[in-house]
Amino acid sequence: MTTTPTPDAVTPLQEADERVVLAELTEALHAVLPEIGLEGTPVTMDTRFVEDLDLESIDLVTLTGELGRRYGDRVDFPAFFASLELTEIIELSVGRMVHYIAGRLG
Amino acid sequence: MTTARRPRLNAVRIGPPGGDPVVLVHGIATDNLTSYYFTVAPALAAAGHDVVMYDQRGHGRSERPTTGYRLEDFTGDLAALLDGMDTTGPVHLVGNSFGGTVAFDYALRHPDRVASLLAVESEPPTAAWAAKMSALLAGSARRLRDGRALPWIDRTYGRHAARLVRRARPLLQETTIAADVASSRIPAEHRWRELDLPVLAVYGSTSDLTAMAPRLESLLPDCRTHLVPDHGHSVLVGDPRTVGTLMLDWLRAGHRQRTKAVRV
Repeated sequence: MTTTPTPDAVTPLQEADERVVLAELTEALHAVLPEIGLEGTPVTMDTRFVEDLDLESIDLVTLTGELGRRYGDRVDFPAFFASLELTEIIELSVGRMVHYIAGRLG
Repeated sequence: MTTARRPRLNAVRIGPPGGDPVVLVHGIATDNLTSYYFTVAPALAAAGHDVVMYDQRGHGRSERPTTGYRLEDFTGDLAALLDGMDTTGPVHLVGNSFGGTVAFDYALRHPDRVASLLAVESEPPTAAWAAKMSALLAGSARRLRDGRALPWIDRTYGRHAARLVRRARPLLQETTIAADVASSRIPAEHRWRELDLPVLAVYGSTSDLTAMAPRLESLLPDCRTHLVPDHGHSVLVGDPRTVGTLMLDWLRAGHRQRTKAVRV
């Protein structure tokens, strides 16, 4: 990369990382929450966990537990959630979590 | 009489292994461990505590048996969870609402296994508590049979509140929880006066439970109370920063007191 990235800038490399993380997150969703019947529901960066997928907030804990096992110490989900207000957790999009994970892995 | 199998409980543990253990017990019906995981638990873990949260039977991602919801069933689950932990020595207990009642009940039965108890918006397990809680649960189950109830909750308290109530409906309507709570085994009141461990009882200043504060202070040998201004029964999720700071301060102080008590 030749330019100095600003904090919010998404570089092409980061975009590729985020696509990978989105795929891994989607896989983890299917693995830990098979009963919610996601098969027919496309999961995109804009998808909201609670509003669109009808996840309970407790399902988010289970999902991040699974992702925590995958990514290890590099990703600190309790700290991620601690940075959000409850209303933001209820509105949380897949993209926001993907962005956080990719940022920590990068 | 047969002893029912204990339901499988969903538990989450965060914070450094070997830290000072804190077990967080959530409230009844519309509650689960996320009331801690998304509020105060990360700060407790960041401060070095070994933080354990679990979904009580019938709640969250734990099993929901059709029967077995007396207070002693919930307390037995907490005992089994603590038995299964790799920690030795007494643990700090934190309970919110009904979770505080469970924590009180556990502490009254096993005072030597508890380092301190912090109860948020909780009532101790008394016959009056059991009757009131049972009536609340039965009333909620009855009102939810009216198809207009959920839309009304949605309009009045918002979509998230309606979602929580919708999720709680199977526990309220398909189990014996209301009748079971009423037939709970209640500890004798004299045991309160012998409860030799530090207790902090926190209430929201606008909650109708604030009358419990002076009562607990007069009953328990070592109890402080604290009112959080401008909050009601849901003070834990309503003001997690204030409650979290109280918890962190308390865990330091409660630990010191216990160490002193043990030395004497």
